[in-house]
Amino acid sequence: MFSIRRFCLLALSLAHVWSVTAKSSTGDSVLVVVDPKRQAQYSQFLDGLKDRGYDITFRSSKAEKPLLIEDDVPNYAHVILLAPESKNLGGKDITPQNIVELLNLKTNVIVTLSPAQTSLSSLASEFSLILPPPASPLISYFPKRDESPTLIPISVPDKSSPVLTKHIAPVWFSGIPQALGNSPLIVPILKAPAESFAGELLTQGGSAESLVDAADKGGEGLWAGSSLGVVTGFQTASGGRITWLGGADMLTDELFQKSLPDGSKPGNADLARDITAWTFQEELVLRIDQVNHHIVNTTISKELYTINDNIVFSADISKWNPSENKWEACSGLKDLQLEFTMLDPFIRTALPPVPGSPGKYSVSFRAPDRHGVFKFVIDYKRRGWSFLHSSTTVAVVPPRHDGYPRFLSAAWPYYAGAISTSIAFFLFSALWLAGDARDSRKGQKGAKAQ
Amino acid sequence: MPSLAYPVPTDLSPTTVKNATSFLKIVALALISGAAIASRLFAVINFESIIHEFDPWFNYRATKVLAAKGFYEFWNWFDPTAWYPLGRVVGGTVYPGLMATSGVIYNVLRALNLPVDIRNICVLLAPGFSALTAWATYLFTTEMKNESAGLLAAAFIGIVPGYISRSVAGSYDNEAIAIFLLMFTFYCWIKALKTGSALYGTVAAVFYFYMVAAWGGYVFITNMIPLHALVLMLMGRFSHRLYVAYCSWYVVGTLSSMQVPFVGFQPVSTSEHMGALGVFGLLQIVAFTDLVKSHVSSQNFQKLLRVSLVAAGILGASAFAFLTYAGKIAPWTGRFYSLWDTGYAKKYIPIIASVSEHQPTAWPSFFMDLQMLIFIFPAGVILCFKELRDEHLFVIIYAVMASYFAGVMVRLMLTLTPVVCVASAIAFSSLLDVYVNPIEPDVPAEEAPAVEAVPANGVTETTTTTGGKKSKKADKPAAVQASGSALSSLFAAKSPGKGSKRTTGIFGLDSRGVVLLNAIWMLAYFVFHCTWVTSVAYSSPSVVLASQNQDGSQHIIDDFREAYYWLRQNTAEDAVVMSWWDYGYQIAGMADRPTLVDNNTWNNTHIATVGKAMSSSEEKAYPILRKHDVEYVLVIFGGLIGYSGDDINKFLWMVRIAQGVWPDEIQESNYFTPRGEYKIDENASKTMKESLMYKMSYYRFAEVFGPQQAVDRVRQQPVPKTPITLDYLDEAYTTENWIVRIYQVKKEDSLGRDLKNANAFATGKKGKKSKPQPRRRALVA
Repeated sequence: MFSIRRFCLLALSLAHVWSVTAKSSTGDSVLVVVDPKRQAQYSQFLDGLKDRGYDITFRSSKAEKPLLIEDDVPNYAHVILLAPESKNLGGKDITPQNIVELLNLKTNVIVTLSPAQTSLSSLASEFSLILPPPASPLISYFPKRDESPTLIPISVPDKSSPVLTKHIAPVWFSGIPQALGNSPLIVPILKAPAESFAGELLTQGGSAESLVDAADKGGEGLWAGSSLGVVTGFQTASGGRITWLGGADMLTDELFQKSLPDGSKPGNADLARDITAWTFQEELVLRIDQVNHHIVNTTISKELYTINDNIVFSADISKWNPSENKWEACSGLKDLQLEFTMLDPFIRTALPPVPGSPGKYSVSFRAPDRHGVFKFVIDYKRRGWSFLHSSTTVAVVPPRHDGYPRFLSAAWPYYAGAISTSIAFFLFSALWLAGDARDSRKGQKGAKAQ
Repeated sequence: MPSLAYPVPTDLSPTTVKNATSFLKIVALALISGAAIASRLFAVINFESIIHEFDPWFNYRATKVLAAKGFYEFWNWFDPTAWYPLGRVVGGTVYPGLMATSGVIYNVLRALNLPVDIRNICVLLAPGFSALTAWATYLFTTEMKNESAGLLAAAFIGIVPGYISRSVAGSYDNEAIAIFLLMFTFYCWIKALKTGSALYGTVAAVFYFYMVAAWGGYVFITNMIPLHALVLMLMGRFSHRLYVAYCSWYVVGTLSSMQVPFVGFQPVSTSEHMGALGVFGLLQIVAFTDLVKSHVSSQNFQKLLRVSLVAAGILGASAFAFLTYAGKIAPWTGRFYSLWDTGYAKKYIPIIASVSEHQPTAWPSFFMDLQMLIFIFPAGVILCFKELRDEHLFVIIYAVMASYFAGVMVRLMLTLTPVVCVASAIAFSSLLDVYVNPIEPDVPAEEAPAVEAVPANGVTETTTTTGGKKSKKADKPAAVQASGSALSSLFAAKSPGKGSKRTTGIFGLDSRGVVLLNAIWMLAYFVFHCTWVTSVAYSSPSVVLASQNQDGSQHIIDDFREAYYWLRQNTAEDAVVMSWWDYGYQIAGMADRPTLVDNNTWNNTHIATVGKAMSSSEEKAYPILRKHDVEYVLVIFGGLIGYSGDDINKFLWMVRIAQGVWPDEIQESNYFTPRGEYKIDENASKTMKESLMYKMSYYRFAEVFGPQQAVDRVRQQPVPKTPITLDYLDEAYTTENWIVRIYQVKKEDSLGRDLKNANAFATGKKGKKSKPQPRRRALVA
């Protein structure tokens, strides 16, 4: 008894501690792979994470341990790779294949790029991101400023990405851009300024000709303009999130504090916060708690429906609330749809929220006049939001043998025919038998019967 | 007393003889039943008590549902695991007679406190019913000739391989009970026709209903009986007996057959049933003309007859044509056309042609299935012609029709077998009658007392006519009275008309002995043949295979069950398995997993979809697999062990069936080498090598042989050494002898790449460097 109480207390206190600190919906352990010499440069960024409750483990970019994945189980909920320069990404087990594996195991990853050629460039192409040739950082000569043309203040338009929650001041950026492919899983977070381009820096021995050469080599591929991304998110179909930062410098203390050309404070810290909040599954995280289906006016869930049944389908959806640290009912989705499919959707209808019951979405529809194995499918994919997918299989069967209407008004001719024949036969038999008694010529009938 | 070839006891009273014969008859029938059941147990002894082949697995599964949930649940059973995702309304698409029979037996035994496993009932149902078939055949043949012929026929049908092939223990198929029902319905029909009894007509109708509920082959009865009636009418043998028998059979039988959900309104709406309806109508007309004839003078009657016949003919034909045209009567089905044109199915309905039992019968299989009966059978038919009573016409028509159909389709050998047994028994017993009869033919000078008596009773007719029937009936009791010896009277009665007055005949014991010994030898050899064929050819469950070790001992190859149990143990309960349709019932029965297609080939498009997936390349097949939620793909591969019934050998049928639906995407010619050969070695065409089926069959096959050249043992061709890569499937399981190979379908890549690239990345191959999409045209300087 005592031990149970102690255990309960312990659990309570643990839960309390946990609830105060952790913010992510998937866990609070973070592995940061960083060059120990440069670790101090990121102190503000990492302290910010710690303050938000993350439990940070450091791993030197030259060390082999701790491992990312052991026995096919990821050791950390989130991984930040802050050592972009090192040739092998900082460790034997940090390979492009393993990073994809991590994402498949629902570990979230933040990757920082550098102008140097690393194995990350081949990884990026798997994510439908295309990196510029080596040693061509993003360059912009606007606005006029004292800093190097590779250190660019980028203004962050409000609401330009679902990831960004509030107004963010322009941020300092130094690094390489990414051209975005046409994968629908990409979540662009920050785009390059319209007047920027990627190329060799002219002051370091490059020339205008080399720029033209580069443009020739890449076909049209002049890496320029606002279609390039500098910070790009990617959410895998399995739900893992990865964010590609064009350069690690934007997370350094120096750029966190360096004032913008107009003298105001940069938005780097805010952007870093938003990026980590999204990547580490704090924001825009939805889940389907349960789905329910039953016949109208009943409550029992059935495995079998009869054709033309009126079916009610409802789903409970909740959203992760990082400040309260719990799942909250979410009635805010306006464009949720339900499909009732067998190979093709037979019914596709809006699944509206039920007023008055938070988090509940419900629709009632008539089952198609077709028997088969159907699926209730919710497939909600919105850029930036976690994907909602639910598929429930039910069979739709023809009516039971006694489930058909018993008497049909259309069948009256047949009923009348059957009844009149029966009556006629009865009368005929009666008359025949009655006539037989009076009739003496039995011999003829006997012969006929023969 | 006539002179006898061998002594016959004379001091036996007729009752003793009668009792002894009936006792012997019962013993003989019991022994025949025993032999019929015992010879079907080879399968259980050589292997085990297991359900055989393909269709029986479905019947077994359905029976389990029936036994567990009761008849109403079975009737309303919707099987969501078959034909995924279409599902199958089993209650309405099945002939429930077989399952209902087992269900009744199961419940009766349980009520008697004999708890028997439903599987054992299913396994032993066919042997049990074969004993009943022997009895029904005995009754039928007794109506044709006499009881000794009946016993012979029962013995023949009991062990003839043509029937055993479909009724060994474990062969739990509709045919198992259908042949009994067929013979018993025919017996009741003959009985009804002979006696003009509405009772027998109704009994025939009841068994007809049972037959309709049990087997699709009931259409054979539906057309045989009307044909018989029609021929009788055309021969001017219309009688009130025929009228009563046919009408009671047709009306009761048709109404009751419409109660079977699967049949429904077919008896009044499809062409196959129109013959019975037409003959029914014709009978009414003929009966009516008969009535008119008896009231109207003959000259007027002739006119009336001519006019009304022409009118009725024109009306009937035009009504039939109109209804067919208007779609009220379904046109003939493909299976029906393929009965007349054996090339039809191959051209238009490959799915029917692809079934091996729908192929035309090879000549040797007639001998294999019927042995000596096939030679004696025509003699029996000719003997029927000699007597030509109404019922003999039935045998003749049956023989002609069934012979034709047996030649068209292998499986219809089954319907030929009973009539072969009946006709052969008639011939054989006639032969024995002549040669066992001890009465020596008379020397013209002598006049035996028996001879005096017999002609007085009208046995002088040597040629049988239509009138011969009555005289035969009459002479039987007369002969018994006339002859002093009860036994010799028996012989005399058995060979009426061949009797005593003729001077030609068999003299002496030696001539009798030679023929009889020969006959006995033939019979004995027949038994040996049947036993051998049954044990060697027809007792393999085909779920379990057997091969011989080098020392001659039996080696069991159990790959099928190994694979199905793997599926059952290691996959999710709702994991959909795709395979060619042959294995659908087995997967459902043994692995208990949903399947895309199965042996109930009702949806050609769905089967063609599977065919298309199997014959396309991986990239093209993958969307099909995903759309149908397929998680596992199962192929049968015999190349390692030399099992010739594998999927590569069936592959061309998949291609053909797919081509029938998607002629633009799948072409049979692409799967042949440029020289038109079907090859799997280096020369195989590119399409062939890229097809999913080829890849799944030969994936990692060459590795087994190490440095040696890999050889496919079925096709005797070397297999290319270049390793086959599978990007969209993973090998999940391969059985001991590689007969069954199971592949798991990969999920879509989580990064949204196509799986080929994802695979290349995962194995560390460098992808090609991509460039940003050009958004503007470059200026040309």
